[in-house]
Formats: sequence, structure tokens, C-alpha cells
Amino acid sequence: MCGISPEIICAVATPEGTSALSVIRVSGLGSFALLEDVMRLEKNRLQGMRRKVGRIYHGERAVDEVVVYSWPEGRSFTGEEMIEIICHGIPGSINMIMKLLIEKGARKAYPGEFARRAFANGRLNAVQVIELAALWNDNENKYTGETEESCIRLLKEIEKVRESIEGNIEFSEEHDEDKEILPAIERLVSEAVKFRKKAIMIEKNTRIMIMGPANSGKSTLFNLLCGRESALVSNEPGTTRDGSTCIVEINGKRMMLCDTAGTDGKGLDRKASEAVIKRLDGSERVIWMSEGGKVPPYSKVRKRAGEIIEIEAKSDLSERLENDRMIRISSVTGEGIKELKDMISRVPGSMSLSAAAEKIEKCIKDACGSIRSEEFDISAELMMEAEMETRRILGKGENIQLSVERALNNLCVGK
Amino acid sequence: MKEEWDVIVIGGGHAGIEAALAAGREGCSVVLISAKLGRIGEMSCNPSIGGIAKGTIVREVDSLDGSMAKSADETRLHFRMLNRRKGPAVWGPRVQSDAAAYAATQQKYIINKGIFLIEDEVTGLNGSTDSINGVRCRKNGIVRGKAIVIAAGTFLKGRLFRGNETWRGGRIGDISADSLEEDLVRRMFHVERFKTGTPARIVRESVNTGDLEEQPSEKSAFRFSFADSVLSKITVKCFTTHTSRKTMDIAKDYLHLSPLMAGRIEGTGPRYCPSYEDKVVKFPERMHHKIYVEPMGYRSRIFYLNGLSSSLPREAQEKMIKSLPGFHDAEISDYGYAVEYSYLHFSEIDETLKLRRTKNVFAAGQICGTSGYEEAAALGLIAGANAGRIVKELDPGRISRMNSYIGVMIDDIVSKGLDEPYRMFSSRAENRLHIRQDNADRRLYEEGSRLGILSKHRKEILSSNIEEAEGIKRILDSESVDGVILSKWCRRPGVSVSEVKKVSGLLDGKNEIIISSVILDEKYRGYIERNRRRYESGRSLEKVNLKEIGSYMEIDEICWEARETLEKERPDTLAKAEKIPGIRPTDIQGLMIFLGRKRSTWNDSNGGDS
Repeated sequence: MCGISPEIICAVATPEGTSALSVIRVSGLGSFALLEDVMRLEKNRLQGMRRKVGRIYHGERAVDEVVVYSWPEGRSFTGEEMIEIICHGIPGSINMIMKLLIEKGARKAYPGEFARRAFANGRLNAVQVIELAALWNDNENKYTGETEESCIRLLKEIEKVRESIEGNIEFSEEHDEDKEILPAIERLVSEAVKFRKKAIMIEKNTRIMIMGPANSGKSTLFNLLCGRESALVSNEPGTTRDGSTCIVEINGKRMMLCDTAGTDGKGLDRKASEAVIKRLDGSERVIWMSEGGKVPPYSKVRKRAGEIIEIEAKSDLSERLENDRMIRISSVTGEGIKELKDMISRVPGSMSLSAAAEKIEKCIKDACGSIRSEEFDISAELMMEAEMETRRILGKGENIQLSVERALNNLCVGK
Repeated sequence: MKEEWDVIVIGGGHAGIEAALAAGREGCSVVLISAKLGRIGEMSCNPSIGGIAKGTIVREVDSLDGSMAKSADETRLHFRMLNRRKGPAVWGPRVQSDAAAYAATQQKYIINKGIFLIEDEVTGLNGSTDSINGVRCRKNGIVRGKAIVIAAGTFLKGRLFRGNETWRGGRIGDISADSLEEDLVRRMFHVERFKTGTPARIVRESVNTGDLEEQPSEKSAFRFSFADSVLSKITVKCFTTHTSRKTMDIAKDYLHLSPLMAGRIEGTGPRYCPSYEDKVVKFPERMHHKIYVEPMGYRSRIFYLNGLSSSLPREAQEKMIKSLPGFHDAEISDYGYAVEYSYLHFSEIDETLKLRRTKNVFAAGQICGTSGYEEAAALGLIAGANAGRIVKELDPGRISRMNSYIGVMIDDIVSKGLDEPYRMFSSRAENRLHIRQDNADRRLYEEGSRLGILSKHRKEILSSNIEEAEGIKRILDSESVDGVILSKWCRRPGVSVSEVKKVSGLLDGKNEIIISSVILDEKYRGYIERNRRRYESGRSLEKVNLKEIGSYMEIDEICWEARETLEKERPDTLAKAEKIPGIRPTDIQGLMIFLGRKRSTWNDSNGGDS
């Protein structure tokens, strides 16, 4: 079969957010045994087409009471042994269950991976796959701007540390640079921690900035989306001083909504608006609002924002023009609000980035510990995993020039 | 002399010796042809065996019943376990050997096993390339054989250089196999040139060892061999010294007379074994290079200067050497030189070490592009075994890269090709934590048996070791500490082998060495498993054949760049495609979808089964 990875994969199948129930899918040879383990069931309890109400345990504590359905090989969606866990829709316990599964040897699935396995096992035909593939390509983890840059920086640091470890192993006779390795890897640990924090922030808080000329209805929209009366709303242009932020859930996706002062480029608010534009780093989405759509986004904003959704605000006050490609909304009548919500909740990327970043951090921390206990061989192995994972995020293949060969270019060795 | 031999081995170096012995173990009659029988088993450079990864190879050769390990144990003068404080998976056992005694011991093994010896120069293969029936020799004419192993070392069109001296030879004092090389070239074998070098040899008495730092030998009962080899009881002192600014200045002064700088040497040398002048050019800020001073033998009057390989003129070498602490009055017995030689391009060799365009000719050792005695011995063993198997009308065997450094080396040489002489590094093995020097016996038993080169005695030893290891594993699986099974407890970071032994009650009386080895297996088990899974998923891509694809340019599922690259490279399988630089994982996934779609439309029209 085409490139099936024998690893057990798992993923949350339901959207992020709070709900009554959520579904976690697990697929791969060994899924039954894995669930029997976390649920403390007797062996083979889940063999065959079974269902079981039970608890998932972490140590002594029960994390959640769940219903699991088991699907044997050949009779499941993917064609492999599969388990569907129906758990309560509380983000905390969902995360805990995923964590447990990963600890026990599963790994978070990449976008579309279940479908890919289904196809490879002949469970989906080509037409179905093409449709899914189109969806899958949209969801490809394209991390641009600052995220990609920090990932590239991290990769360079990882490569450097690996080179010194490998160089030290192979040429230990000729090199006394033992002392440099520990501080270098300790520095790398803090880089990895920073990266992980950033990754989590990116996924949890995709920033949506509401921008536009003064008094175009930004704060009203903001309040509408946040569901509260927080921002000052008045008819006087420029009444929102600093702008406010709040974390909202729209269509199950969590994001950070930022209201901004009128970006007029004039008067007292000029500084405030320039500060806002400076904060843009290419990863935000900007909702650009102007009354009747009359003011297009400023070029500075266009350059720096990740994506711009143009809105014709206060549609209740104007007529629809021909060739109108903008979303018309009215906070008064509610026109276009649903359409807008759908648009902004289509955020690319999945939970993979923070999962990968956590894995990288763990590998590097463990590698550092291994150096301290003089287990260079294990440390080298862990660093290799960290490098592979980082390359995977960047979409680079695993064609790494041997670390030791890179080292040879920089080390004066040889007898 | 016989009418026709089963296997003819060309060359009596480290590869040739193991090839001859292995072919013998397959039950073949073997003749070894060497230009100077007295120099069989000679150590051309460093009088030492082993090192990081290389030491493991020696043990692997021993597990396949080769002779290198036993000879190394018997003639050892000095021992060190390298990387002792870096983790057991990268430990490198290394010995200094008595060079003369080592060669004599290897010769003894050859003679005892009934290998016939002919002193002559092989001038070419005999017969058409796809049906070689023997070799042609200068003195003895045609010697017929059913299979051939070429283990000519650095002798194929060997050219030696020192200053402005150039002369023919594979090694100082030896011939150059020019005719054999010409024959291979005439038969359209693709050959390339490599270079290597060697330092000067110094008269021992002329060195003031009081000025040098001593490097003591470790007192250890370590044996390379898993069988009952005899361990030498002699030790000698080894020393170190270092170069200084003065040495560097001398090298700089004579640099214009270096044959490499003058462009007279085209072959590429290894980055990990540069000549001293290479180091001076590449790392000019570095003043002090460590030089190891190694006696060539217990009663030998020669020191070997490890780290001062050079092809500068005699005058330069003499001045450089005299600038080293302790060498003020040094007397040089042989000057250093560089050697440039031909080797076979990797496209000519398959994974069983057979030359692809022939039915019965195998290549081993430096002519494959490797460097090092240990690497040569390993390749010789496999080539000899497979030559023997061909004669017995059996399929030649392959060694997996997941299981041994030998497997890694053969796979690297044959699939990736080389741009400098190949030397084993531990990081070449993805499965390094499994491929250790302590478990070579258990790792290679299965493949060795399948190759048919294990003697009865060796089989007994290996299978008894395996049984004992299984017994120990059972103990580790059954005992627990604080509620944790001992085999899992081993995996905790920082837990040492001695701690595990203390904590267990049942391990007393068992073989200490095997206990440590099994504990290490458990300790690394998680990582080894992950590696295995990664390898398996890579392997599944190997089964996907790309030959049916006409043109990559129309495949919508992959981006333009990928289409162009694939069209140019035309890989055979998806696995090979994955390895092409610039091809990303999404390109592979796209190809899979394309292929899947193609396959299912065929299936529809064939009413098919998928």
C-alpha cells in the first residue's frame, strides 16, 4: 500500500470549543490495545465491533467518562483498526485525553491523514479523495512571516548544536570542545521554549484586527462579535482611545479580536493608529471597515497585514452597488454578520503546530539532560528527532546532509 | 597448481584476506594472488585497529567469523576505549598493534585454512566481461577461476608523490597494478581517482620521549573477538606531542612545492584525514595540532607519527618534524608521501558487491572507494562470501543497514555514491543505538547463518550467547522495582548498568558482559523502536514503482518545480524520489494520489481487485 505509516494516529474530529460531546478518532494497528490500556480494560475487550462505556484514566484519576466504539481492521473508515471515543466536549479533558494517547505512543494526525489512509486502504475512491485533497491542500500548514522565520532560526540553532555533538562523538580524541556543548544546548532549550510559547499563542489566538477610518462602526461590530457592551460607542469620531481586545469563539474557533482606534492618519489618533499598523506582522487578518466601502485600505496596511477582508459598513445607510465584491454588513440590521463570521472562522492550520513545537521542546530538553548525564549517544538521537520535526513544520524533506559531514567543514580534525 | 579454482582473490590486503577466508568457509577452493606474498596483511599506515564505529565493524567481522578481530587481540600493544564518557552506543574500542606480528598472524590464518598462494602480478581479467573465466598474470599466464574478487587496494594505477618526486606504486616499495587498471578501463568500467597520504616514520631511539606526554594503555580484558582469542600480554607506551607556529611556518614556506597545490594530484582526499599542509591552509589560525607518536611494534625500531601526513619535499618534512617537542634530533627512516589511485564508481557495484556487468566478479576494499582496514575487511568478507555462493550456485546475500555498520556501508556506497574516500562514522547509522559493539554477536547471527559463512564452532558460540541473552531478558521482564518492571526501569534517564545489576536479585552468576549488553538493549528500546517504524514506513515507499509514469510534466497533483526535478531524475521508486534534494513531502503525497487515481481507473476497467 502506498506509504502507510504504521504509527497510530489520533485527532479530535469535532470543532474546537465547548459542546456537549466531542469525538476523538484513533487509527492504526494497536489502537485497541492502546485504549484497553488507558481505560484499564482487560485484554481484547475491544476486539471486534464493540462499544463500551468506561473511564479514561490518568494515573489514579479518571479524566472523563466516555463511550468508545471499536472498528476492526477492514471494517472501519480508514480500513485499519480504529477507535472512536465519544467524550464530553470540555476542552480541558479533550486535551488531557489527547495527551494520554500521545504519551502511550500515538501521534497527532496531520491534516487529512485519516482520509489518506482510507484511500490507501481502498476505502475511499479517487473522486472522493480528490474532493478531500482539495480541502486538504487548503489546510496545508502554510506558516508565513514571523512564524516561519522563527522556525528557520530554530532549525539553524538545532543544526549547529547537532554538529557539535556529532563532531564531539566522532572526533573526541582531537577536540576538547566538550565545555562548549552544554551551554549551547541550554541556550537552545530556551529558544525552543520561546518557540513553543509562540506557537501556542498563534494557534489559540489568531489575531483579527478591526481597522478602518474613524467612526465606521468598528466598535459596534466589535461589541456585536464579542457579545458585550465594552467599547465606548459614540458618534464623535475617534472616541475609542487605545482599542480593546477580547478572545472570542466564532463557529467553534478561538481567536483574539482587536478593536483599534480610527486609523485616519490624522490628528491625535495618528500616533495610536501608527502604533497599531506597526504591530502588524503578517500573521493577522484585518477586517477593514469603512462606511459604504468608500475608503480602501491604506497601502501600509495592505503591505503588512496577512489577509484583508474588506467590509462595507453601515449597509443600512446605502444602496448596494453593482460589482460589489465586499461583504456588506450592518450592525443595526444584522445583514452580513453571519457571512462575516463564516469568513473569519476559516482559519488555516490546525493544532499541529503547537503539538510539533511541544515535541521539539521536549526532545531538546531531554537531549540537554542526556548531555548532563554524559549520555551523548541518546542526546544525539533526540536532537535528530528535534531536527526532523522542525523540518517537517517547514515542509522540508528529510534529506539532511549528514550532520557529521556538516561538522567536517568546520572542524579541524583528522590524523 | 590446479586446472581451475573456485574463487580467485586478487590482492593480499585486509580485504583480500577476509575474502579468501570467507570463500573458503563457503566450501570453495581459493587461490590468493599477490605481488609480494611477504607483505600480505601489511598495515600501510597507522598500526592500529578499531576506533569509533570502526571498532564495532571489527566485532561484526568477527561475528561473521572473520579473522581480523582475533589477530588484533593476539598482537595488541595498547588499548583504549574511546568515548567512554559519551554513552555506550558510541564507545569505540581501539588497539595499537604490532604491525609485523599482525601481518604474520593473518598470514598464519590464511595458510592454516588451505588458501593457495601465488606471488605474481595480475594484469587483467580473462574472458569477455559478461563471462569472466579467470585472470591473466605476468609470470603464470592464465589462472582459471569460477569467480573473482578484486581487492587491489590503492594499487590500481597508483601514483606516489612527495615534493617534486613522482613514481609508480600502490604503496612505497610496491608495484602499481597499471595493467589491471587498464584492463578494467578498456572493459568500460567507470573509474575515478582518490588520494590519500601517510606520515613519516621516525627511528625510535632518536626521539626524546621524556619531552612527550604519555598516553597510557587502559588495563582491560576487552577482546574484539567473541570467540576465545588469545589476548596479548605485552603493552608499550604511546605518546603525544604537538605542532607549533614554527611547524606551521615551515609548511607555509614549502607550500609551493606541494604536489597537491601544484595541481599534480587530481584525486580528492578525505576531509577527515587531511595532510598537515591541508590543515595549515584550511585552518590557519590553529597553532597546535596534536600528534600521536605510536610504536610500530614491540621490538620495532620505528615510531609512526599520526597526524603529520604530508607530501611536502623531504627537506620540509625533516624541518617540520624537528620542530616538534622531543624530536629535535629525530632521524627519519621513511618520509611521508601521498598516493593517488583509481577506484570503481558506485554505479558499477551492486548491493552484493558484485560488479553489475559481470556474472561472477566482486569488488572489495579501497577499490570500492572506502578507506580504512576495518572497512576493507568487512567488504572483503561479504565479497568473498558472495563469490563463494555464486560458485555454489546459491543466491548472493545482502546485509541490512538497520542491523550493522557493514550494511550501512554497503548501502551508502552502492546507493549514494562517494565524493571522498568513505570512512565509517557512527552517525552514518540511523540505528546507531542498536548497532553497538557489545551486541555485534547477537545482531549478525541470523544474517551470518543465511550467508552460510559461520563455522560450526562459531555458530555454537553465537547461539549460546543469544540464549543467555534471552534468559537475562526474561529475568528483566519478570522482576520489578517499586512496582516498575525492571526492563522498563532501565529506560529511565540516568540509570546505569551497574545500578540495574545491584537492584536485581537474579542476575548473579550470569555473564557480566552479556548482562550489560541486554540492559543496554532495554535502555535504548524506545528509540530503536521509533527508528524501526520510521524505516518501515520509508520502506513501504520502496515498493511503489514509478517506472510506469511516462511524463511527470502533466501531473497536476505536484507543483512545477517538482515535475521538472522528477522528469530530470526519473527515480525508479517513490523511496528514491523522496531522497532527491528539493522534493518535499507534499510532492510525494501528490504523486501518491496521482498513482492511486491511475490505479483505480485501471481497476475499474479490469473489473479489478486492488
